[in-house]
Amino acid sequence: MSLVPPDLIFVILAAVTIIGSILALQAKELIYGAVALAISFIGVAGFFVFLDAPYLAMLQIAIYVGAIVVLILFTVMLVRRGSLDEMTDRAEGGEGTVGLWLAGLLAIGIAGVAALAGPNLPTDTQPASLPVSSLGPVLVTQYPVPLIILALLLSSALLGALILAKVDK
Amino acid sequence: MVALPTTPADILPFVIAIVTSHAFITIVFFPGFIHLMLITMFLTWYERKILARIQLRIGPLYAGGPGGILQPIADGVKLIFKEVMVPYKADKPLFLGIPLALVFLAALPFAVIPFGQNWVIANLDVGIVFVFAVTSLFPAMILLFAWASNSKYPFLGGLRSLFQQVAYEIPMWIATLSVVMLAGSLNLVDIVNAQAKLWFIIPAFLSCVVFFISIMAELERLPFDLPEAEPELVAGWYTESSGAIFMLLFLGLYMKLYLMSSLVTALFLGGWWGPAFLPQPVWFIIKTIFVATLIIIPRGVYPRIRVDMLIRIGWSRLLIIALVNLFVTIFLLSTGILASWGL
Repeated sequence: MSLVPPDLIFVILAAVTIIGSILALQAKELIYGAVALAISFIGVAGFFVFLDAPYLAMLQIAIYVGAIVVLILFTVMLVRRGSLDEMTDRAEGGEGTVGLWLAGLLAIGIAGVAALAGPNLPTDTQPASLPVSSLGPVLVTQYPVPLIILALLLSSALLGALILAKVDK
Repeated sequence: MVALPTTPADILPFVIAIVTSHAFITIVFFPGFIHLMLITMFLTWYERKILARIQLRIGPLYAGGPGGILQPIADGVKLIFKEVMVPYKADKPLFLGIPLALVFLAALPFAVIPFGQNWVIANLDVGIVFVFAVTSLFPAMILLFAWASNSKYPFLGGLRSLFQQVAYEIPMWIATLSVVMLAGSLNLVDIVNAQAKLWFIIPAFLSCVVFFISIMAELERLPFDLPEAEPELVAGWYTESSGAIFMLLFLGLYMKLYLMSSLVTALFLGGWWGPAFLPQPVWFIIKTIFVATLIIIPRGVYPRIRVDMLIRIGWSRLLIIALVNLFVTIFLLSTGILASWGL
């Protein structure tokens, strides 16, 4: 049925997602950052389609692109342009160091968890059709490692947001 | 799937096989590109004609054909050759790119709209969720375009449009929920097939009303056209658009009008079902044009409502009515009354 090899689709989706998220972080204009974030989210939705979970993909688009990006856009537009320019010019050492520490800790954590539990990961790649109610038990009994990695990612994002939002004096 | 050609003599049969394949015909001709363009152009003429009749005018007349039906082509040619004026200090990439994205997003959901048993491009299992996921991107596009215009009136209009569309998505989705429960499927083809004996407008009448009012707010049609209120905001979020940009925006908006009307047809009015003397797609298009007429007529009849009325209708009327119909649907389904009606 498919005309292109699945690896190529995977590489394209990964490129869209990663380049989108890098642009979202690096964009000088915050609006472009939000648009790049939306493109990155659409790439993630493409992964869900690729993994035979179209429902999840549609919800990803409706909630993340349709609601969260709109929220971000709206917040950015409420901030005056002048204050945005000041923010991009700010060059202090503190945030960068904390970010590096966080990224390093995260990398060590993920690598450690993966190394400890890597051999125990279930190997069957056949997606089983599960009722939604059994999603939770399967997640904590069969796939605890990805769950822990996700939790680490989320908590580091939360810590990073705290650092960014900290008002100096 | 046709085998790829190996010798030069195979190329012509290969091309013919591709062009006559069902996938190509559905994408390019019938529910796809050409049909969409023709219907969208027809709708612009049709709306002007209806409004003219309501206001005792004649409307477009001189552009050839009966009743000036070639007017959209003349308008299109005129708009393409006009200058595109980009406002001072506007965000050029977004200002020029968003109209294209808007047309693309308005055309994309037609891939899952079933115009007949076999006249659907992609028979997707999550069809209705796909339509809602794509249409939920419209407010973001409109806000971005309004912001990129770098002008006060478009920005105010864009904010109003964003709030209005996001707020009225909620009753629209809940109204759809009862139809999904009645059909037991998110697939639009299955939903229409489930209406072979009884159109869903009968068991889910309140949902149909709520859905209809919600799509009028989604489409920014009168009486919900606060985002383009002429006395306050000049023309709302497309004030600064001109030439081809204006044409693309209007193409997207009228395509969305056709999309929402076809959703009403597929969800509540039995889709392609009708007496057999006309083919299925013709029934679907007739019903859709009828719904579009119902959406257009209030523009010539009603005044614009105020912002507080908009909020009150959305949150304390439509949402509650949609929930009531949801509970009625659950009651009908659980007591098995609907089974005796042939569902």
